[in-house]
Amino acid sequence: MPARRLALGVWLLAVVICVGIVARTHLRTDMTAFLPRSASAAQQVLTEQVSNGAASHLILLGIEGAPPQILVAVSKSMAARLRPDAAFVDVSNGDDASFAGVRDFVWRNRYVLSAGTTADRFTVTGLHAALANDLELLGSDVGMLIKQALPSDPTGELLTLLNQLAAAKGPRSRDGAWLSADGSRALLLVHTRAPGFDIDAQQHALMLIGDAFDGARAAIPGAKAAQLHETGPGVFAVRTRDTTKRDATRLSLLATAAAAGLLAFAYRSPRVLLLGLLPVASGALAAVAAVSLGFGFVHGITLGFGVTLIGESVDYAIYLFTQTARGDPAEVTLARIWPTLRLGALTSIVGFSAMLFSGFVGFAQLGLFSIVGLIVAAAVTRFALPHLMPPGFFAAGAGILARPLLAVINRRRRLRPLVALVVMVGAVALALHRGGFWDKDLSHLSPIPAVDQTIDRTLRHDLGVPDLRYFAVFRTADEQQALEESESLAATLQTLVVQRRLGGFDVPSQILPSDGTQRARRSALPDADTLRARFDQARADLPFRPGTFDPFFRDVAAAKVAPLLTRASLPPALALQLDSMLVHHGDGWDVIAPLRDVTDPAGVAAAITAAQLPGVAFVDLDRESDRLLHTFQNEATLLASIGSLAILVLLFVGLKSPARVVAVATPLAASVIVTAALLTMDNGALSIFMVVGFLLIVAVGSNYCLFFERRDHDAVTQSRSVASIVLANLCTVSAYGLMSLSSIPVLHDIGITVAIGTFLTLLFAAVVTTRDVAVQTAADRIGLRMHSPREERDRLPLP
Amino acid sequence: MGDWGLPQLMRNLAQVKAASAQFTERKTVHMLSAPLVTSGMLNYIAPDRMQKITVSPKPERFVLDGDQVTIAGGPDKQVHTFSLADYPQIGGLVEGIRATLAGDLAALDRFYVVQLSGDPSNWQLLLQPKDTDLTRFVKWIRIAGSRNRIVDVETEDTDGDHSDMSIVEDAGDAR
Repeated sequence: MPARRLALGVWLLAVVICVGIVARTHLRTDMTAFLPRSASAAQQVLTEQVSNGAASHLILLGIEGAPPQILVAVSKSMAARLRPDAAFVDVSNGDDASFAGVRDFVWRNRYVLSAGTTADRFTVTGLHAALANDLELLGSDVGMLIKQALPSDPTGELLTLLNQLAAAKGPRSRDGAWLSADGSRALLLVHTRAPGFDIDAQQHALMLIGDAFDGARAAIPGAKAAQLHETGPGVFAVRTRDTTKRDATRLSLLATAAAAGLLAFAYRSPRVLLLGLLPVASGALAAVAAVSLGFGFVHGITLGFGVTLIGESVDYAIYLFTQTARGDPAEVTLARIWPTLRLGALTSIVGFSAMLFSGFVGFAQLGLFSIVGLIVAAAVTRFALPHLMPPGFFAAGAGILARPLLAVINRRRRLRPLVALVVMVGAVALALHRGGFWDKDLSHLSPIPAVDQTIDRTLRHDLGVPDLRYFAVFRTADEQQALEESESLAATLQTLVVQRRLGGFDVPSQILPSDGTQRARRSALPDADTLRARFDQARADLPFRPGTFDPFFRDVAAAKVAPLLTRASLPPALALQLDSMLVHHGDGWDVIAPLRDVTDPAGVAAAITAAQLPGVAFVDLDRESDRLLHTFQNEATLLASIGSLAILVLLFVGLKSPARVVAVATPLAASVIVTAALLTMDNGALSIFMVVGFLLIVAVGSNYCLFFERRDHDAVTQSRSVASIVLANLCTVSAYGLMSLSSIPVLHDIGITVAIGTFLTLLFAAVVTTRDVAVQTAADRIGLRMHSPREERDRLPLP
Repeated sequence: MGDWGLPQLMRNLAQVKAASAQFTERKTVHMLSAPLVTSGMLNYIAPDRMQKITVSPKPERFVLDGDQVTIAGGPDKQVHTFSLADYPQIGGLVEGIRATLAGDLAALDRFYVVQLSGDPSNWQLLLQPKDTDLTRFVKWIRIAGSRNRIVDVETEDTDGDHSDMSIVEDAGDAR
């Protein structure tokens, strides 16, 4: 059998090639692929920040459920256990060690870091003013605070700097550890060495934290009841992966079991059951290879989601197996159903191909994935599967499954008004829907459960880690330019702080001044002899004893010759903070300056524009993500509309008759309307994922409609065809119905939409589309060959 | 005298619900060749509200309310609010005086080794810090009084600096 050898040979070769390509595939999981290609620099920077930025290294910990002094003890014990571990860059809990690194760095480098280091400050007049102020401070109630530092720092640079470095402040501490305002929670802030997207490393860090907590709890009497809460980007990443894994594993096992049960009942052959997976498996493999070749990488979402999109290819095998009559070779069945199957597959391909033109790389990948996947799955069904089917195979159990629907079909004339009524009610409900169809809350798309989001907000609030919304961003060609421009930006922002339009801000130059500024500050410091001479003159009328300020002279002399600070000079906590604001990105440097407590966003935006700083933009994160979501929704609607239009054109070309197109398209439109009405009941809103679900209803449902629309040559064949559709639909409804049980929005939304929509399509198409061929209520006669007296016009001759 | 002692003194002090006084503070700082002298008013409302209003040479206001300290009108003309726990060098000192005013022996014991000398009309409390954070800054505090009034607070810092605050209570306070 050369045809058989050729088909299987080609298939095997293709599998080997695809496996080769897939093995080399670069898998990416960052979200930038799901940003529009046209996204603004601000959006790209911010998205990258979320997944890679310094903030992604943060884990916030809260310990509660014990009296404050026990919580403090647990906090201290945990910090001591975690600090030596290389997985953590920094562990802060409010004790001295939490600030030691930063305080020491700021102290040692106070003259290059402080904006107070100016030539004026070190003149006789400047020094006299500083000393007079010091004298006043010594007599005041804060005298105790400054006394120790005064001989080294008479110009008070440390105080200026500590006020400026807001990050060095934490929440209230009690007995040397941070506690929430109500004393119910001890707080820790952990910086992991690994970024938030490195999920394995984050999981390891969480395990170490859990161990440290258990160790501390066991070591401290009375701490048994204490509980630990963790939050942060890495924690969310780990939890999401766990939930996804758990949901996906559990639900796909259940779905597989349900589908396998149904198919086993229908086929009564394990071999055929497994063969049924061949088209979808081959399709997925080829699709991954194609995306890898076309885009250079495959996104994690494409991989997981693409298989859902080509799920209908499981149906291809069902159509072939179930419609094969007893004693017929598979080739005979194929010859009969192939034109319908081909048109059905083409419909889906055309529908999904609209995604190819998406501005979102992720969508485009999904488009290519589904196109290639479906073509390959259809080809495998057509050319490879018949050769592998056991001779004489016959789906003995399928007939029973078809009975209820056959009953519906036989009453279809009476049921048509009911369908019309249901669709009308649905359409009216949609027309009367209030408050917009779109879910505008981005957090509903998030896979993070609401309770975890609440814990996150609470701990952030307690720790004073602001949930930042406003930023000033710009991009430069090199690092020094970025630092210089952030110094000009700081000057503009400072005036806004004075005007109380802004509570505060962070810029990278506060942590690492530009080389130019560092040099200028160094040269503002007088040489040792000049300084001593001026200083003696300045303190002439003040009661300071001579010799008191020798440490000051030493420190100034050292600062004058100290090497310039670079990123490498920074302690870990400050380096992380710098990295969150100054990001090396491709061919440039992005500066992202967080603005705190913005009281007048419009005024701040206008002031930033008016300052004419080159390329500096004011970013409102909430508005940007709203805009992004809006773009997503617009594009999804547009693509779905284009896809639907393309499907109509294709149906017209394939069926060559407007009446037949109407017969096929009506149930699809009807079920989308009714599904949308059901999903938006009680003024609910549609998520972006549901639109994808609508596309899937059309893709999967069009196959049903095309088969219903076929004019089979006899009632038995048609019954068999109905049985195959019912079997396919039962598998789809059970798989997607189980998916809708997931707590992950994307799985839930698509699952519920497709389960409802395809089931409605099945019913509607049975009632509306079924043609007036001699249908008999003879499900039990399946297997007998009975020719209808009517001639079949569109029947293809057997080969 | 009979059973007069620390518990009795503390009980007497605890009965004072409010008091106000004039103070003169004389600080000897090793960096300075002349002492710094300040004066103003003190207010106390049991159990944990204390106010020190400096009038001369520069106006300044120090308010302790529970754990919260507010300093206003200092050289930088700004209002600073912080928690006592954040600044052990101020915290221990303030807590020692507050606990004495409130007659809160338990709080005193937590921070200091307490020694009483003298008699009810002329007593001295010597407080020596236990806490290592505090011993870095304060060597001892001596509070002198008569009956349930405090007349003098003397502080010796670890670096040898010395402060002596003499207190003259206003007549007619609610006792």
